Amino acid sequence: MAYLEMDNVSIGFGPPSNRTEVLKDINLSVEENEFVAVIGFSGSGKSTLMSLLSGLQRPDKGEVRLHGSIVENPGPSLGIMFQNYSLLPWLTVFGNIELAVRQVFPGFTKAQVKEHVERYVEMVSLTPALEKNPHELSGGMRQRVSLARTLAMQPEVLLLDEPLSALDALTRAVLQDEIIRIWEEDKRTVVMITNDVDEATLMADRIVPLTLGPEATLAEPFPVTMERPRDRANLNKNPDFMKLKNSVTRFMVGMNKDAKDLKVDSSIKMPDIIPYDFTPPKRASVKVR
Amino acid sequence: MAESTKDKIKYRILKALDVSGFTAFDPVIRLIFGEEPQKQFAAIVKYLVIPTIFVLSCIWLWSWFGPRHKTKSGEVPTPDIVWESVKINDTIADREKVKKSDFLLSGSEREAALEEVVRDYAILTEQVDAAKALVAEKETEKANRVARLIAPLDEKYESLKDEYKETAKARDAEIARISKEVSEGKTEAAVLIAAIRNDSVATDLERAELSVIKTQIDEIRSQKYKPLDQARKEYDSVADKQFFMKTRLEFLDDRNLYVKLDEAQSELKEYMTELSTAGSAKDALKIAKRAVRAEESAARLEGQEYASAVTIYHQTKRSIFTVFVGFFMAAFVAIPVGIMCGLNKIFMACMTPIISIFKPVSPVVWLLIFQIVVGAFFPDPENHALLNFLNNLPLVSSLEINPALIFSACTVAMCAVWPALVNTALGVASIDQDHVNVARVLRLGFWSRLFKIVIPSALPLVFAGLRISLGVGWMVLIAAEALSSSDGLGKFVWDEYQNGSSLTFANIIMVCFVVGIIGFFLDRMMIILQRFVSFDGGGTSV
Repeated sequence: MAYLEMDNVSIGFGPPSNRTEVLKDINLSVEENEFVAVIGFSGSGKSTLMSLLSGLQRPDKGEVRLHGSIVENPGPSLGIMFQNYSLLPWLTVFGNIELAVRQVFPGFTKAQVKEHVERYVEMVSLTPALEKNPHELSGGMRQRVSLARTLAMQPEVLLLDEPLSALDALTRAVLQDEIIRIWEEDKRTVVMITNDVDEATLMADRIVPLTLGPEATLAEPFPVTMERPRDRANLNKNPDFMKLKNSVTRFMVGMNKDAKDLKVDSSIKMPDIIPYDFTPPKRASVKVR
Repeated sequence: MAESTKDKIKYRILKALDVSGFTAFDPVIRLIFGEEPQKQFAAIVKYLVIPTIFVLSCIWLWSWFGPRHKTKSGEVPTPDIVWESVKINDTIADREKVKKSDFLLSGSEREAALEEVVRDYAILTEQVDAAKALVAEKETEKANRVARLIAPLDEKYESLKDEYKETAKARDAEIARISKEVSEGKTEAAVLIAAIRNDSVATDLERAELSVIKTQIDEIRSQKYKPLDQARKEYDSVADKQFFMKTRLEFLDDRNLYVKLDEAQSELKEYMTELSTAGSAKDALKIAKRAVRAEESAARLEGQEYASAVTIYHQTKRSIFTVFVGFFMAAFVAIPVGIMCGLNKIFMACMTPIISIFKPVSPVVWLLIFQIVVGAFFPDPENHALLNFLNNLPLVSSLEINPALIFSACTVAMCAVWPALVNTALGVASIDQDHVNVARVLRLGFWSRLFKIVIPSALPLVFAGLRISLGVGWMVLIAAEALSSSDGLGKFVWDEYQNGSSLTFANIIMVCFVVGIIGFFLDRMMIILQRFVSFDGGGTSV
């Protein structure tokens, strides 16, 4: 039995007469300490998938299970990191994390809470911003506070909903490394949603593509077998990486093309013309003896 | 980069200006600290000088139009008359203070003050006589001048009148002649009718000409003679001072608390000695009864306080107090009910009809209802436990809380409750779904969800609502006070309107400004509070 499972999960919106099935027959099983990346186009229902995993939404059909028991409500054991930070703007960085820590560890003394919060803030290198309010921070910093808050709850499963999508490329790279470092430091199960093939290939143990919505479902996963630690600098020279990246990209783009082909084709058929080739015939190489 | 202390001070001031909404003075501060003078000058011209010029031109327009509009209560007062009435009200308040201290003076202090006042009174009496003489002189001067100006017109008037009398007589004779001829059949009737018509037209014309001259004469009579006005004003002011001194004399002498007490005591003593030498039992009984009565009146005197006339300052204080009582009552109801509305859709549905029906009701109607309903709780206001308790509290006692204040405050609360309620409900209902999700993931209980997520997130809107509420409350209060005769600015205006003195109109306009300025500061106060609770650092509208 897998650690975290989705078993034939479907969900849709709207009244029965005009129902849109967002996700259909999703099957996913994640092993303990595995890092799974779900990759998909925007609008394909990735965030809905995450809501289902975290228990914020209940599926119409099927079950989500964490060690065999059905997930009915959200809770700190399924630590979700929201796409749009979801920091409470009236609390400081410390206050935001403290709220979570106090709730998850009610037995902590004041000093313990403080120490715990500071440890996680340091982990995301935000100690200088401890007493700042969220609106005084940049997007990347907010994202890191959100990450620290989720990590400070010490969840069994870390659910990252496009954690880096709102960031610029440089900050993104830094945070990717940070997440991997933290994950390697204290191993835990991670499900990450992303729309970036590079990111998925760099970080995950397994890449699961989500097909196009509506009625999106999970396609055959791509295992990532590259050794860890993966060196970002040399990645582009790594043939395994390139191969995997290309095949994922090709799959994703192909899916998109398939979807396009499924639609009514209104384009004008062009005559099949081969242009006349003006290039002179290759000269035969003359070997001089 | 280390900031110098000068910069720190500068930024602190700028921050304070920003929070309090006085950003227009921003360039002035920057200029004082020598930051880009050219830019600051430009900003000062744009945002301070031009608005000031505009306001000044509005004041000029007012002072130009004012005297040109004649009303039943006299001309519309110009700004300087209004300013005059501000000063007069201030003097009244000052004098009340002096009178009060006079009333409570005793011993040698009283005697010293009395001596001084007597001296001042004598000087002022002389001045009053002089001023009176001057007024008389100017009056004759004016009369002479008027007579001189009128004389030729009068002459003309009389001569014209005589002339017209003659012509009228001639016309009458002519008509008589024609009518005789008509009766004899010598002339046609149409001629007679024409003659009569001509006569009436001519009479009208003559009358009109005469009345033109009459108006001219009247105009000259009603013309202002500046030296006379000046002299009268002088006389009024001196006479006013003299009258004040006379009142002071009374308060230092006969009406002084300690003088009265001494009198009562000496009376009592007299009775006592009389009692010891009383001849018969009947006399003794009579005197003893008198003595007891004298004792009682002395005891009553002991607790007597100076009965101060209501001054504008007292009225203002009382109005501000009342509006805050009403405002806090409103907030006390609106915030919890608003939160419940925001949290629970069923509760919201229950409240919606009540809110929508009672929100548009006029404050006047509420006042009448509260006057009846609240009045029933105070059948005997003099001896009511709550009122007695409130009137013995240290700071509040001087405000003389009475049922009128309470139902004015209730009216304020009733009208101020809606904006706060609706805004609170909106703030709670429109909480960000992300924040709700955080609460769900953390599995916060109802109360911690309420106090850690819902209320903080609704707070900016709650305060926006409270700000509107206080503004509405202040506006409603003045009307409520006017109608319920609860001492305050509203009653002040109403009394002025009813009494009708030469200062009535100016006083009403003065109250208009007092109410406006206090309202402005109340609003600013709420803006600052709102800024402190708003977490996104955004500004609030002015």
